Amino acid sequence: MMRPRLRLVGGVCAGFAEHTGVGLFTVRLVVVLLSLCGGFGVLLYAWLWLTVPSDEKWPGSDPLPKSSLARARSASLVVTARVPASFAPVDQESNHASDTNTGVGKARGDSPARAHADPARTAPVTEILLGLALLAAGSALVASRLGADIPLAVVVPAIVVLAGTALAWRQFADIRSGVSQQSSALLVRILGALVLVAVGILLFFVTGTNPNAWTVILASASVLLGVAVVTAPWLLRLWSDLADERAARARDAERADIAAHLHDSVLQTLALIQQKAGPHSDIARLARAQERELREWLFTGTRGGSESATDLGATLRLLAGEMEEDFAVRFNVVTVGAGVAVGSETIPEGSHSGIDAPEALVAAAREAMFNAARHAGGTVSVYLEAGARGIELSVTDRGSGFRLDQISPDRLGVRESILGRMRRAGGNAVVRPGPGGAGTEILLTLPAPPVPSSLPVVNSAVGRNS
Amino acid sequence: MTSTGLQPPSDNVHKDPDPDAVARLGILIVDDHSIFRSGLRSDLDADLDVLGEAATVDSAIRQVIVLQPRVVLLDVHLPGGRGGGGAEVIRDSAAQAGNTLFLALSVSDAADDVVSVIRAGARGYITKSSSGAEVSDAARRVADGDAVFSPRLAGFVLDAFGAVAGETAETTDELDRLSARETEVMRLIARGYSYKEVASTLFIAAKTVETHVSSVLRKLQLSSRHELTAWALERKLL
Repeated sequence: MMRPRLRLVGGVCAGFAEHTGVGLFTVRLVVVLLSLCGGFGVLLYAWLWLTVPSDEKWPGSDPLPKSSLARARSASLVVTARVPASFAPVDQESNHASDTNTGVGKARGDSPARAHADPARTAPVTEILLGLALLAAGSALVASRLGADIPLAVVVPAIVVLAGTALAWRQFADIRSGVSQQSSALLVRILGALVLVAVGILLFFVTGTNPNAWTVILASASVLLGVAVVTAPWLLRLWSDLADERAARARDAERADIAAHLHDSVLQTLALIQQKAGPHSDIARLARAQERELREWLFTGTRGGSESATDLGATLRLLAGEMEEDFAVRFNVVTVGAGVAVGSETIPEGSHSGIDAPEALVAAAREAMFNAARHAGGTVSVYLEAGARGIELSVTDRGSGFRLDQISPDRLGVRESILGRMRRAGGNAVVRPGPGGAGTEILLTLPAPPVPSSLPVVNSAVGRNS
Repeated sequence: MTSTGLQPPSDNVHKDPDPDAVARLGILIVDDHSIFRSGLRSDLDADLDVLGEAATVDSAIRQVIVLQPRVVLLDVHLPGGRGGGGAEVIRDSAAQAGNTLFLALSVSDAADDVVSVIRAGARGYITKSSSGAEVSDAARRVADGDAVFSPRLAGFVLDAFGAVAGETAETTDELDRLSARETEVMRLIARGYSYKEVASTLFIAAKTVETHVSSVLRKLQLSSRHELTAWALERKLL
């Protein structure tokens, strides 16, 4: 059973209707009727709301948009207005009370911020319960002022129980959302909330007339039951989290096993084929392409897998792979220094990308690599260094080499795509003979933007082969 | 498979490092794939003398001690022993084969594989996709006392020693950082330059480049820099 993303309050009725095939209206009617029978429906609703998982098929699993939050809030008002009837006989004053009671307004006022921080389904329950408690308190007060005969022996404990439950759930939500607080403080607060619940339940019995042994037994059983009800949703979710984590770990272990096996045998065979077939034959190219694909599959997801194509080094490797398929060339890509994100909006948070690499550098590097692949072939070295001073990228081939002044002015490849592009991006490009006078070396440099960021030294990109 | 491929050559003089017989280099090939061993054996240059082959950690240790080869071409991943692969071979046999040098062969360029073997005492590494001529050349350089660094290993060294972040050693005996010159050399090797090309680019003698590379190798093996010790700890080397 899943709760749909499109929902009126919590999606419980809709989810239940979909799951059982009963009409949505019927389900809602039953819930409302149950609510009138001593509030059972509301409790059931709240219980299901907490325990039934939300359907994540909705595009983008963001927290609920504001409009639906607002709807949930106005719906919660309906619920609150309905409920006091079951707890205290003060129905005609309830509207009046909610206006006069500022506490309800306050509880509602601070909720959107919390709803953003928490998973959408947990936030409103706490607010509703707190609101309920305050509403009941306010109603009781007003009613007693008006001279009605309020059974305080029932109302006060109910308020305490509601408040305790709400506080406990709020703490659990905090724990679960990983808000890093001192765990001891959190524990104390949870215990406090649970004690509040227990005291509230006990009050029901203590304030009763003519106590006897049965009252005590009933009271202790009720306390146990109450605490169990309050903690059960949290425990259930903890359990499901644990199961999820265990499954994920099993998947990882399996993957590592497969990786180890493939690494030892299949990659070995592919390397052998490349070696035997001669460096630039079609067979070697095929084997290399296979090897690259296999490596990509093996290494994505195992170590964070954060660098799909957003990392500059990964982008270069991707380009190299594409060109190796089309030309008789072999790129040797070495990256040093911090990872550099490509594209300003795609920097993954928490990654170590200190520098925002403009697309121009990628485009120029691509052109340089393409030139080397087409005109020189053989083994081409691509070296990327991202340091505190900026980014340095060199493409070195062992071909016949060329001089810039020998290129006719109408050929724009090098002049425009590399030199001009780098200049416009605020960097520099140098074309010069390769080491030992053979081949060509194209050196692209891009100074670091004046950001006083201390770049961490990370060796993430080096451990991976091209 | 204790004695698989143990084929003592007809002339057994290469067992002892007699200067007269040094013209041919004694090689032991250690790899668990027989196709690879035979392929490499046939591809190696004629002046290299393959003394034997081994497929597991245990047989490799035994043969290193018995045959006393000058250079061992050592696969990083090996079955047998205590599961330590090539690094275990080096650690268990180096003491009893004082004249033997190890060159690691790895199917991948990945630093995780290579660093453990280097830390154990290998004098360098090459990938298995290298040609027979390249392997022969690397073996000769190792036999001459040089270190063999691939571009990727040089890149890893630059990262691990914080050279990119501008950390440089002030004295030559500082183990945890590279000197300015060593950084330069590593940077050029990472760009795919040969030692000779590094020498001509930096206007220094080729022998000086080799000295720098050897000193970097020594730092890589001995440094207690935390990036490296983290590697070592992860691989249970400490």
